[in-house]
Amino acid sequence: MPENFESFIQQHRDAFEEPGPSPRVWDALERELEGGRKGRIVSLMGRNWFKAAVIAVLLVNAAVLFYIAKHKQQQQDLAVVIPEMQDAKVYYSNRINEKLELINAYPASELGLDSAARQELQLRNDTYKTLENELKNNPGNQRIRGAMIRYYQLKLELLDKILEELQEKHATPSSHTKKQYEAEI
Amino acid sequence: MNQTPIDGNVIDRCKRGDVRAFRELYNAYAAAMYNICLRMTGNVSDAEDTLQEAFIQVHRNIGKLEREASVTAWIKRIVVNHCLNNLRKKKVYFEEVEEVEVAEEAGIDEDSFTWTVSAVKSAIHGLPQGYRTVLNLYLFEDYSHREIADMMGITESTVKTQYMRAKEKVRQIVKQQNLIR
Repeated sequence: MPENFESFIQQHRDAFEEPGPSPRVWDALERELEGGRKGRIVSLMGRNWFKAAVIAVLLVNAAVLFYIAKHKQQQQDLAVVIPEMQDAKVYYSNRINEKLELINAYPASELGLDSAARQELQLRNDTYKTLENELKNNPGNQRIRGAMIRYYQLKLELLDKILEELQEKHATPSSHTKKQYEAEI
Repeated sequence: MNQTPIDGNVIDRCKRGDVRAFRELYNAYAAAMYNICLRMTGNVSDAEDTLQEAFIQVHRNIGKLEREASVTAWIKRIVVNHCLNNLRKKKVYFEEVEEVEVAEEAGIDEDSFTWTVSAVKSAIHGLPQGYRTVLNLYLFEDYSHREIADMMGITESTVKTQYMRAKEKVRQIVKQQNLIR
């Protein structure tokens, strides 16, 4: 019976299939997933989470500093220079400050961070100030704007992670501050 | 395309970051998606690399997958797009061609030679990359000419012309293989 090309393919479709990929594809995939997986990071932090937090802070700063040159300083109001960035600043600053207050409610022994690391957790640290100055000097530079927003986001993610760890450890905020927050709620 | 059906909650578990669930998803689709990669790239090494990259993207984006969406079509589109992107990285350009009527070559009587799977596979493998891509997407992945045109960034008429030329070329190659035997 004569067959044309298309009908031949349809009739023998399965015969064109090869067996699946070699197991090394999943192995490589799994390694890649483990590397970026949330659960993996959490388990690492669970073992020595405060060190991980400090490293994360340093990485945040290094990543941000990579995009900027540390020079030029002018004291101008960001709101005047770039009004639209002011909205982002207010939004992120409020959220970051809320989380910082929650974290600061925990006693230092629970938090496990030294003073330098705690300083880095604050919003207006050296990296932030450098970025802000750069933005004032180069208000039209999209990379600096992007770096500023990314800085806010990374900071928020880090604070969330620390809070999550504290909750998993069933740590409790110090009673004074806890009462203060309960009153606010 | 054959793949093991996945349990309804596998996607939900994947969305929650469960790697074992993701492995179930991978196992269900790996073979079918690997075959797409193999046909598109033409070699095992590139096919496996592309498959891995595509599944990393599946993992990253699975949170965006809506429950009612077709998981198979979604994964397949990611895999095909990865294949096309990798071909572009290798400087394979899917060029526009003038729309011309491609006549079947006179004298090729399909009754006069035998189609075999290995002969067709070999003929398709020997096609120029652009023809092969169009032919594979249309014949094996069941995309329409319109969909292929959108994915490849060329016109629908170019897709049709390339498909006709690819098909004709396969017929010629298979016939030659018959004559050699």
